Amino acid sequence: MAKISKKGIFFTFISLTIMAILIVIYTPQADITIQKDTRAERVRIESINNYVNGLENEFMITVMKATAQKTIVSLNLYVNKTQSSVKDFDAAFAEVMLNGTIDNAAIDSITGKKIMENNTVSNWTARFIEAGWDTYNVNTSIALGNVTASQATPWHVSLTLKMSLDVKSNLAEWKRDNVTLKTSIGIEGFHDPLYLMNARGSYSNRIKISEVEFNQWNITLAREHLKNGTYVHWQNSDGPSFIMRFSNTTTNSSCCGIESLVNPNMISPEDQIGSYVDYLFWNQTYISQCTQLYNITNPAAGNIGLWDEFRFFKLDIDHLTKYNITSEYAIRSC
Amino acid sequence: MIHKKRGYFFVLDAALGIFVLAIGAFLIASLYINLPEPSQVGLLSDDFLDFLSDTQIKDLNNPYAGIGGQLWKEGSITNRDNSLLQQIGEFYSKGQYSLAEKFIQNVSANTVPSQFNYELWIDGQILYPRNPSPEEIASKSKTALMLTSKKITFGVANTTESSLWGPYKAEVFVWQK
Repeated sequence: MAKISKKGIFFTFISLTIMAILIVIYTPQADITIQKDTRAERVRIESINNYVNGLENEFMITVMKATAQKTIVSLNLYVNKTQSSVKDFDAAFAEVMLNGTIDNAAIDSITGKKIMENNTVSNWTARFIEAGWDTYNVNTSIALGNVTASQATPWHVSLTLKMSLDVKSNLAEWKRDNVTLKTSIGIEGFHDPLYLMNARGSYSNRIKISEVEFNQWNITLAREHLKNGTYVHWQNSDGPSFIMRFSNTTTNSSCCGIESLVNPNMISPEDQIGSYVDYLFWNQTYISQCTQLYNITNPAAGNIGLWDEFRFFKLDIDHLTKYNITSEYAIRSC
Repeated sequence: MIHKKRGYFFVLDAALGIFVLAIGAFLIASLYINLPEPSQVGLLSDDFLDFLSDTQIKDLNNPYAGIGGQLWKEGSITNRDNSLLQQIGEFYSKGQYSLAEKFIQNVSANTVPSQFNYELWIDGQILYPRNPSPEEIASKSKTALMLTSKKITFGVANTTESSLWGPYKAEVFVWQK
């Protein structure tokens, strides 16, 4: 009987060896582990990146808008309470918005209203830093710079905030120096500080924008304008802007000046020598110039104008023209 | 006769080789099938949280939570620009926990596949489900894999007073049943 060849066993060994090599080379475990680690790091970096962008573009913008609104409300209350103007509006606005103080005194303690307490920009950034640590385990540092409020349009206050940002995680660090954040808030709904400080708290008027176009005015629309206390902006205005009113400044702001008409029924005495356009009335521009003022009535022409409802209401010649009140409705006051 | 018997050995050897190769291929293939599971769950938790934070109320077509829906008519939802996550945060800030739970249940229906359980926490407090069933608690404690995604949420509580709520940590846990 011939001896059986054992060559087959070598084929088996060869196939096992090839299999072992294939398994070692293509084993997915090692490959996937690297992918997993890479993915985990990528996801974490993306998350923190979103956190940084969210802080800069969403959170701080929302905080700026909210605290600016509260700051303006607080400054109005301050004006009303102290019956004095805000000497340096820019400095006061920044101080109240960032720290809740005015001339280093808590504004809430002056106004008697808890508005800025725990609601300053500094308070909110501190909360966000805490949430960042709690959520992403990152160390966030925010250095707040200057805040400014200005007006380039009549009905909005533009806000800018400079800040530097540093976010450190165990994987990377995000550093953003001298970032300037910009946003704006509408002025509609705020009290007009000019009324608060000049009427000694007896007469306040909220900003409401008149919807009348500049070339549509007539005696009827002027009556509604006066009755509703609405505000108008004329091109190249001679009136002060909203933020100028905090410092009782009544010079012109050609870009952003606004004006309303003072209701004689809301003041005492009702009959005063002056144009009842708010900034002209409160700074008494026409107090010694009654010959340049007109009562909005003309009994001789058979027109009562606004006299029936707003007795003693007067306007200067410039505003008679602007509001398109013709001579048949106006006579010189003296 | 001897030559014919050798042929059987070769056939047997070849069959053995094919068997070994088949087993090896099966093992490799099964490893590839099983391993992607973690990333799938991970994506699910990220996607779910992204869905909540990226979808605004005004874009939601939902008779309960969308514009003109039940909550809108009741006045429980007033800001159409809120994201779903912000709306949940707003309910939480007002202490409306039951409303938040119902809202989450409604907007997340069919979003997470039924073979997964999930929880949503705001500011360290569970809002969905507020009272997990014993089965959910058991599956959570027994699961081999549970992943979480986190985000910070905040918003305006009252536009008239410009009061803010938050910032809160919003956390989603997803695990396989």
